Amino acid sequence: MLLKLSSNSFRKIIKPLSICFASMFFSTSLIANESANDSKLQIHGFIAQGVIDVKGSDYVNDDEKPSFELTEIGINASYQLSSDVRLAGQAVYLNGGNRYADGVRIDYLLIDWSLFQSEHWKTNVYLGRFKNYHWLYSSTRDVPMTRPSIILPQSVYFDGTRDLSVGGDGIALASKYFDENIGELDFNLSSGRSPISDEQTRIMMGEQASGDLNFDEDLQASVYWRPHYSSWRFGVALTDADFSYDNKNTDQIFDGKLALERWYANAEYQGENWTFSAELLQEKMSVSGLFFPSFQRSTTGQGGFAQAQYQFSTELQFLMRYERYYANKDDKNGKKLEQMSFGLVPHYFGYQNNVTLGINYNISANLQFQLEHHWIKGTARLTPVITPDARVNENEYWQMSAAQLVYWF
Amino acid sequence: MFITTAPAYGLDVIANDSVNVHSLNVAQLRRIYSMRQTLWSKNHPIIVYVLPSKHPIHKKFSKQMLHIFPYQLDRIWNKLTFSGLGVAPRVVNSQAELINIVNTTVGAIGYIDALDKDTDVNVIKIIE
Repeated sequence: MLLKLSSNSFRKIIKPLSICFASMFFSTSLIANESANDSKLQIHGFIAQGVIDVKGSDYVNDDEKPSFELTEIGINASYQLSSDVRLAGQAVYLNGGNRYADGVRIDYLLIDWSLFQSEHWKTNVYLGRFKNYHWLYSSTRDVPMTRPSIILPQSVYFDGTRDLSVGGDGIALASKYFDENIGELDFNLSSGRSPISDEQTRIMMGEQASGDLNFDEDLQASVYWRPHYSSWRFGVALTDADFSYDNKNTDQIFDGKLALERWYANAEYQGENWTFSAELLQEKMSVSGLFFPSFQRSTTGQGGFAQAQYQFSTELQFLMRYERYYANKDDKNGKKLEQMSFGLVPHYFGYQNNVTLGINYNISANLQFQLEHHWIKGTARLTPVITPDARVNENEYWQMSAAQLVYWF
Repeated sequence: MFITTAPAYGLDVIANDSVNVHSLNVAQLRRIYSMRQTLWSKNHPIIVYVLPSKHPIHKKFSKQMLHIFPYQLDRIWNKLTFSGLGVAPRVVNSQAELINIVNTTVGAIGYIDALDKDTDVNVIKIIE
């Protein structure tokens, strides 16, 4: 069973792959005579800097002052080794304040093997570190000009579990089908675990967590369908991930397990001036242990967003979005959460709704300015995930403004 | 079997002489430009060339020939480029440059404005 290969073996692949890739990249760039005729190597990148101001929560920073912790830089290369095999890699530097761990990381680094191609089918296998190819924006969630907004809808693109769902080290399979009756069908299947940093552990578990959070199992699948010549596209996806926590002596958190099972459905319409997108999520989070050894809890959260983008001119685009999220579908107003925690966790940690307005302005073909404002009710998508921090986040209503300039090539 | 030629688009699809395909239907062309078909045949990769997204010929090619808006192509290509899934077409700045590079690159495909009959290019017939 290919998918059952251990993730350790994939980690062993990543290092030699990066050395091989770096040397190839280096030698090719020396040999390449800059002629556009060298069609095997492609290099692209992006650089974005923004300013973000959050009033009423610790989503980005603790002092609630405007912050420049909104930096996204990436560079990638793709080299076609043969007609079947391609190497590709991207390194990024990200800083999002409290949203996720900052720093340089290998975003993806993979061998793309073109397994099969016919009149109707195209199947590729990706081996190494790949992205999450399953949701509307997941594969380029850190690439500003590919997103509808600077801050993605937290119901689906929850920054608190970013590193757990951004991709993984393992194997992915992408199969595309086409015929003139059915249209385009895309099947994606992947299994890959990512290393979990100490900061991601604290974002999940809380500041007092000094133990290790381990990624045990991962399986992700999605299907997308675009009827022939249609402006609509529909998708469904499933992700299933299991984690375990190893307590340290100094820890207030016990050993335990965490399982995240997420279902998604999305639809997108792309017209000449209007784009409509919607993505729905249902996530089941099962916790055993952690709070005390015999603790068991399973809650199902629901959420999603509907969004319209209007192309006013070639330069200017408007965004409107409405989003809802409930941490527990059986406790939408959070009253039970408040009761069960003896009032320690206020009811507004049970939901997070958001209205967003934004504009994108294309200054030139490769330079874009983005501006947006979010009106938010509830704090269910703030971190830490497992142990909400009600002392810091004492506002049910909070707001956020962000502006960002992005250049890409 | 009837083969109807496409309406006069005022555009021609051109390919390198090495390309052994002499006609394509619109659905195939669309697959090539959305990078869902990347080989002419086994071991013969397609090298796709485009003019910049804002170029009038590109806009015409995208909307009238492929029936897809230029921004949709940009989105598909950006997703491929920045996620590791694949590669985007190569962008050249002018039609003259495009003709030259398609003529000299094995497996290349591109498009140009209504053919200047003096130009020495290999035209691919597009059928609906």
